[in-house]
Order: sequence, then structure tokens, then C-alpha cells
Amino acid sequence: MDTSQLLKGVLDLAVLAVLRSEDGYGYDVLRRLRAGGLDEVGDASVYGTLRRLYNAGLLTSYVVPSEEGPHRKYYSLNEPGRQRLAESGRTWRSFAHTLDDLLGVVA
Amino acid sequence: MSSTHTRVEVQDYLARMRTALADLPDVEISEIMDDAGAHVVEVADELGEEFSADALTTRLGTPEVYARELRAAAGYPPAAAKAEVPPKPVFAARFAFWSLVAGTAAAFGMGIGGRDGFPLALLVAVFVVWSIVLLNRKEPLIGQVGDLPETLALKAALEQAEQGPLGKTIVYLRSLQPAWWLARAFLIAISGLVLEGIGVVFLFSLALAALALLSGPRAKTDRRWLWVSLPAAAFAAGTLLFIIGSVIPNTRYNDSYPTSYAPVQRTVPSNVYVFDKDGKALTDVYLYDEDGKPLDSSFYGCGEDGREYREDNRYPRPKVDYDSRGNCREIGGVPFAVSIPRTSSFPSSASATSTPSGSVTPPSSVSEAPPTAPTSK
Repeated sequence: MDTSQLLKGVLDLAVLAVLRSEDGYGYDVLRRLRAGGLDEVGDASVYGTLRRLYNAGLLTSYVVPSEEGPHRKYYSLNEPGRQRLAESGRTWRSFAHTLDDLLGVVA
Repeated sequence: MSSTHTRVEVQDYLARMRTALADLPDVEISEIMDDAGAHVVEVADELGEEFSADALTTRLGTPEVYARELRAAAGYPPAAAKAEVPPKPVFAARFAFWSLVAGTAAAFGMGIGGRDGFPLALLVAVFVVWSIVLLNRKEPLIGQVGDLPETLALKAALEQAEQGPLGKTIVYLRSLQPAWWLARAFLIAISGLVLEGIGVVFLFSLALAALALLSGPRAKTDRRWLWVSLPAAAFAAGTLLFIIGSVIPNTRYNDSYPTSYAPVQRTVPSNVYVFDKDGKALTDVYLYDEDGKPLDSSFYGCGEDGREYREDNRYPRPKVDYDSRGNCREIGGVPFAVSIPRTSSFPSSASATSTPSGSVTPPSSVSEAPPTAPTSK
């Protein structure tokens, strides 16, 4: 099964999840996703997702100057973002549970 | 960290990315470039000694691909195709395009119309030949046709269909194309033969068939052949439908002649007189058909207020008359006598035994429609 197709549907949730405990800039988020096991996630997809979540009002951002290279824009989860994370998390769990049940029938 | 050398490639990469995002609002572009610009620089730094424009592209994809992926994930609309140079609508190109559409439609009509569709050949010829002449006179015209907004819309629709649920079907049908090319050439040749027998028309249709056969593979590389290929395909498809259509109705009409579809008007004579084998007139008989349904007929008898409409199956009908005071009267009886020929070949016992069981009136239909009792007399 092509995981990149699955990833499209849940990338929002994954990005919100890795920002839950700690703010991060784009590359941070990318690294955390990859470290978490989502190897196939595309660089541009992560940046695009961050923009979309930010435009949807689920993230706030602030700029931190960096001595080496360009300044970095950090994203952090705001209250609507946390709520969305909780909702989407529940949706995902129930979905995953449903699919597990179905697979149980098949197997 | 980043040397001037790397910066040129990075700046070039970023510039191309910015171009690919140029149609978005300025605020969005600058936000994206803040984020993604930092990202590209960071990736370039990571590459270190290995850095080159190629290495960057290998790692991140081309700036255009990067931008497209980012747009998709961010939910922006895909970049508008060539928004900066709107193609000037060219009259000749537009004429050629719509001639192809009209010619193809007319060719289809010509095929499906059978013999009646033959006059459409003139229409097809006018559209197709004129377009082909135009297309061959001006080389760049075919390119202009390709750039027409209607052509682009059609192409986009086809591409979308290929990616949709019908994609596999389309790919499969495409694999059958060479067979279809042969089939349509055959259909074109046959149609000429059917129309006029072996003669000038047949020779002409043979030539057209050859041209159609040629046009299939040629149209793949030289789009001008589409002006032959598409009308040929439409004509062949129409002819095929015509052939199928002229075979199917015959069987359909024979198979399912509507027996119970529309209630058939039973013809019952206005009156019926019944005699037994001895020539004795029978009165007050109730008539039924083979299904046990009463053979009702309408009848104006006498009621309390003059004439009264009845509908039943009791025969013979009485004669209606008026007395001197203008009162309605029903007169029964049989106005004539008959002599029944006596034939030994038709004995009474035989007629009794050969009476089919169907003549026994089904009780159900009797209870449904009992003969009405006479109202007056």
C-alpha cells in the first residue's frame, strides 16, 4: 500500500502532534516527523501544511534571528490548534479502531 | 558557512521557486519564501562539500516541483497555465477546431442515418476539406488550434478522465485502437457497397477507407490527420449503431407484442341473439370471454327517469320503446326466428363432451362482476 497517499490525509494531524510539546521551525518539524518514522514525508509538503495550518488559525508564529544563516520562523500550537489536535486525534483513533476491526474480520 | 559560490545556486533556486508561486498573494509568497528559503539554505549547508545545483535538485526536486508540492499541501490552487501570455484567439484556428467538431458530428449523423444520412456527406465534406486545406496552407495553424482555450479545456478534461475511475478503461480502449482503425476502414468500405452496390460510390468509399486507415496512426504524430481520423471514427461509429439499430427493432417488435400492455377494446356487437340446437331462442344469457371476463357492452335501458345507462353482459338486449304517454319501455323477445341446419357430423353429445373446461365460468370472476339484475320491466 502506498503510504504517501495515506500520509496526505493525516499530515495535518502529524504536524500538530510534533508541535504539541515544543515549538519548532519548518526544518525542525520535518526532522521530528522523520525521526518519528514518517520517512516518506516530502519537504515541501511539510512547509505547505504549516502554511495551511497557520492560515487556518491553528498555529502562531514568531521569528528568531539566527547567527548562522537566515532567521528562523518558529511555529507554536495555539488554543484552537490544541483543540483541533484533540479532535483529530479522537477521529483518527476511532478510524484506526474501525479499520482494525475490519482487518480482524478479513484475517 | 554558506560561501558566495553556493549562494548563487541557492538564489537561483529560490528565484525559480518564487516565479512558480508568482500568482499567489504577495504576503503569502513572502511568508513561504521566509520558511522555505531558510529550508533551502539549510539543506544547501548540510550538503557542504557535496553542494552543487544538481545535488540540491536531487535532494529537493526542481524549484517548480517543490513549489507545486508546497501549493498542493498548503491548499493553494495549482498554478494557472500560462497566465502571463494569454493566447490571442485566432479566427482560422477557431474555425478549424469547430469545423472538426461539426464535421465529426455530421459524420456521426451520416452514419447513424443510414441511407437517409447520405445528404450530410456534403456537410462533412465542406467542413473537413476546408479545414484540411487551411491547415496545410499555414504551418503554424495547427499549433494555434492546440493553444485555443477550448482545445486546452478539452485536453484537461481528457486528462482528468484518464486519472479518474475510468482511467483503466480508457487505457484498455486505447490498446484496442489498431483494431478499431481496421474496423472503421471496413465499415466505411462496406457502407459504400451497401449504398450503391459496386460502382463509383463504392470505389470512392474504398479510397476513403484507405485514407481513414492511414489517418489513425498518422494522427498520433501529425495532429492534422485528426481532421480525417475523427470524422472517420464518428461515421464508422454511427454506421455501427445504424446496423445494430436496424437488426434489433425487428426482433423486439416480434418478441413482445403488447398483449396486456394496453387494454384492447373488445368488439361486442350491439346485440346478440342466441339459439339452441333446436332453433329455440334463448333469452337472459350471460356472455363471457375465454378468460372468464364478462363481455360487457354499454346499453341504454329504461330507468326511473327515462333512459338509463347500463353496462353488463346479459343478452339479448331488450328493445327500447316509448308508449303513447312517452314512458320508456323495454321489450324483450327475439325479433326473428332461425332454422339451425341439422348435421350428423356435429352430434349433441359430442359438443357436450368437447366442451372445454374453460367454458365453466370461473367463480372468482363471477363474484367480481355479477350480472346485474334488470332494473325495470
